[in-house]
Amino acid sequence: MDIRKIADRALNQLTGTGFDEALVAITVSEQDELNIILNEPNLLRSTEDYSLTLSGIVDHRKASMTLTDLNEGAIDNGVNELLDRAKLSPQDEAHTVSENQVKHIDQGPPHPDMDLLATKVEELLSFRASDTPKMNIEEGAATHRRSRTVLLTSKGTALSSDVGAYSLSVFGTASEGDQSSSFNYSGGTANDIADKHASEYFGLGQMMRETEQQIYTGSFDGNFVGDILLAPTAVSSLLGWLLSQVRDFALIADASVFKNRVGEKIASDKLTLRSQFDAPGHVAYTEDGFIAEPLTLVENGVLNFLLPSHYGSRKTGISHVPNSSGWSVDTGPAGRDELISEIPKGALVNRLSMGSPGPNGDFSGVIKNSFAISDGKLGQALSETMIAGNMAEMLNNIVDISTEHLDLGGQDFPWIRISGLNFS
Amino acid sequence: MSKPIAPAGVDYAESRQHELHKTRIVMIDGNLTANTESTEGGSSARVFNKGYWGFASAPAMDDATASRVAAKAVENANTMCRFGRQPTLEMSAEAHSGEYDFNGRPPLSQKEIVDLLEELNAYCKKEYPELKSASFMMTQENHDKRLATSYGSESLQTTNRAAFYIIFAAEDQHGQPIELMETVSNRGSFADLQLSLDMLAPRMAELNRHLQAKRNAVAPRGGQQTVIIAPPLAGMLAHEAMGHPCEADAVLGGAVTANLVGKAVASELVTMVDFAHSYNGEELMIPVYVDDEGTAAKDVTLIEKGILREFMSNRETAARLGIPTSGNARAYTFNDEPLVRMRNTAILPGASKLADMIADVEDGYYLMRTGNGQADSTTEFMFGIELAYEIKNGKLGNAITNTTVSGTAINMLKTVDAVSDDMYWECNGYCGKKQPMVVSLGGPALRAQVHIGGE
Repeated sequence: MDIRKIADRALNQLTGTGFDEALVAITVSEQDELNIILNEPNLLRSTEDYSLTLSGIVDHRKASMTLTDLNEGAIDNGVNELLDRAKLSPQDEAHTVSENQVKHIDQGPPHPDMDLLATKVEELLSFRASDTPKMNIEEGAATHRRSRTVLLTSKGTALSSDVGAYSLSVFGTASEGDQSSSFNYSGGTANDIADKHASEYFGLGQMMRETEQQIYTGSFDGNFVGDILLAPTAVSSLLGWLLSQVRDFALIADASVFKNRVGEKIASDKLTLRSQFDAPGHVAYTEDGFIAEPLTLVENGVLNFLLPSHYGSRKTGISHVPNSSGWSVDTGPAGRDELISEIPKGALVNRLSMGSPGPNGDFSGVIKNSFAISDGKLGQALSETMIAGNMAEMLNNIVDISTEHLDLGGQDFPWIRISGLNFS
Repeated sequence: MSKPIAPAGVDYAESRQHELHKTRIVMIDGNLTANTESTEGGSSARVFNKGYWGFASAPAMDDATASRVAAKAVENANTMCRFGRQPTLEMSAEAHSGEYDFNGRPPLSQKEIVDLLEELNAYCKKEYPELKSASFMMTQENHDKRLATSYGSESLQTTNRAAFYIIFAAEDQHGQPIELMETVSNRGSFADLQLSLDMLAPRMAELNRHLQAKRNAVAPRGGQQTVIIAPPLAGMLAHEAMGHPCEADAVLGGAVTANLVGKAVASELVTMVDFAHSYNGEELMIPVYVDDEGTAAKDVTLIEKGILREFMSNRETAARLGIPTSGNARAYTFNDEPLVRMRNTAILPGASKLADMIADVEDGYYLMRTGNGQADSTTEFMFGIELAYEIKNGKLGNAITNTTVSGTAINMLKTVDAVSDDMYWECNGYCGKKQPMVVSLGGPALRAQVHIGGE
């Protein structure tokens, strides 16, 4: 299927029908997924998916539509319906499309190696049987996904990609007799999964071992203020809040604590947060049609940018910095075990189960799949333990960052020690 | 949509055609930042043969595509045989046929929607100048599924729901941003929500009152506390804390509920049901008459007067556990295989009055709105609390800052000492489990002991 040809025709239809500006984006993806269910190979799932987005602006009025049907008749009907909808939308001078962004991205393996997927499933199951027999893999998968994309605008943008990647994932609990652990999971995406045993990718083996250690749990006596060592799997909870504060919704609604903080220190000088927009399975251009160049969002604690979309930028007057998904945190000088040894009382936190932090950063959450730390030593697995604090303060209370890091593909994070959390 | 035909020559097969239409409209402080419609439709086939499953899907609903994905599903099941022989699984061969459509109000036009949002925005600017922003989000989705199975099921089922969200933002006493959200949801399309300024004005006034109270919110005391859980939270509790651990795949995966059937897991005031389609003779928000494996959907009583009774199942997990099928196999899009999913899960109302329940609390909290919730195979749960008040000597006091409540459901539900006679249903948001899913949640107010995060 020639998706560039389909996109060209759809763009011509949009501009020919009366739109002043237009954007067309097509994604065609194929996925093969070998599933483990309840410790056994269970299902081979093969899917194809098409997605065509039509976006048009007429008289500063905009509407968008997404279809899976790429036939000419369906697209023509969609274009006509879109024009009717756009004409009834409110005028907004901030609407426009990207201009003269041109790039093609080829990345990762375009075709699946089904033998490799089967081998990885066998490796995960043999690791479970030999090393972590109390672990029940409720769901696991070895997957290959290929996505081909084209994005065109009426102002000369022509972006395209052909990206393939492999993923591995495991989800489950460990149990013994009537006792069960909390569920636990890990997984990630890479361009190749042939180099190592499946259990060595994305912390899968470590996660399964730790889950077995979480069948029997305890909790702290009383409330206290202590430190946490935030594992890479939990770092995204902290950074997710930070990113929500520098993007459209918070900026347009004037509800961001960082709106006027560019160039200022918002975090410990140990924190540097870089883009990884070309991570496996990712495409380094934005859905509004801009090439996302590498950037350092937070450098030694200083906020370098806000990240509005092009629309958000025109709406708020904040500089437009195109950005996509995929982030990494710079590692630090100390080993993970050394960080643990320096914590008088606290916890190694592998997962934070919590409500969305408020826009001011206040949060409280249950720490899951986590272990107590007392006098610098890792102790028992924890249950029914909560921590409370403020995300903005946590960024400033980063004490140290580990040398080790875990690359999940688009999330490459180390262990981060943070002080001043309320345990209850 | 043509009539699907299940592949032949295998132990079991199903063929599905599934079209999903969604609309999403967002107005942030008067700016229409999203105005999108999407339609995705396609064919899928799933086959069980020699102990393995094969699934295939493609984004078209013509006969040629249906035949192609059916052949690919058979090929995939056969490919799985490389892993060796599997023991035979005697799945229920139950079949159900029927057509279940929904005729709601005529859909709102684009002009009616935009006019309403602009009217609401202007109203908020005039009535609530103290707000930093007022945002509105509208989402609706409609699923049409046609299914055929090799056991003889043939069905057509429509599932649709719409939700309207109001988000007010202000600054607290320290100049920090705070937000609160109000939601209206129901079966059908935007038109079936019967939205108007007259209908929404009292809700916006209430939302603003709570937001102004939250400007001076105090931090809750961390630790075990007596709480009144408002009806919207009780529905979330039912779904997250006891619903997920009572899904048969979770049970097989090691959830603690596996060994608790027939045992007390809650106060005898607590009865909890996953309803298929109706409650008290009325159709619910997400009615499921036949599931995506062609099994008739039945109510599942998870907890009866405090005793754990039944699990929700699909054909495979029912066979593995030796329990009846319950019609809980559901798939979100044409690309998805059916999984064990909830439908309309609720704690049933009791006899107490909410006002009396609050009046009897000397020192505690009234938990009113949640942002999200998660639960665990151990029944340990967490809810984010976005709106709550102190209760002092039987009266509501200060609003409290955002917090999280947690506990282990099989312990916490035993502390329930009052259940109100209210019943509140909602169907906004998604349940997450490999795929998203539309569900509804229902419940009365509960009084119990839970762990609150705080200082």
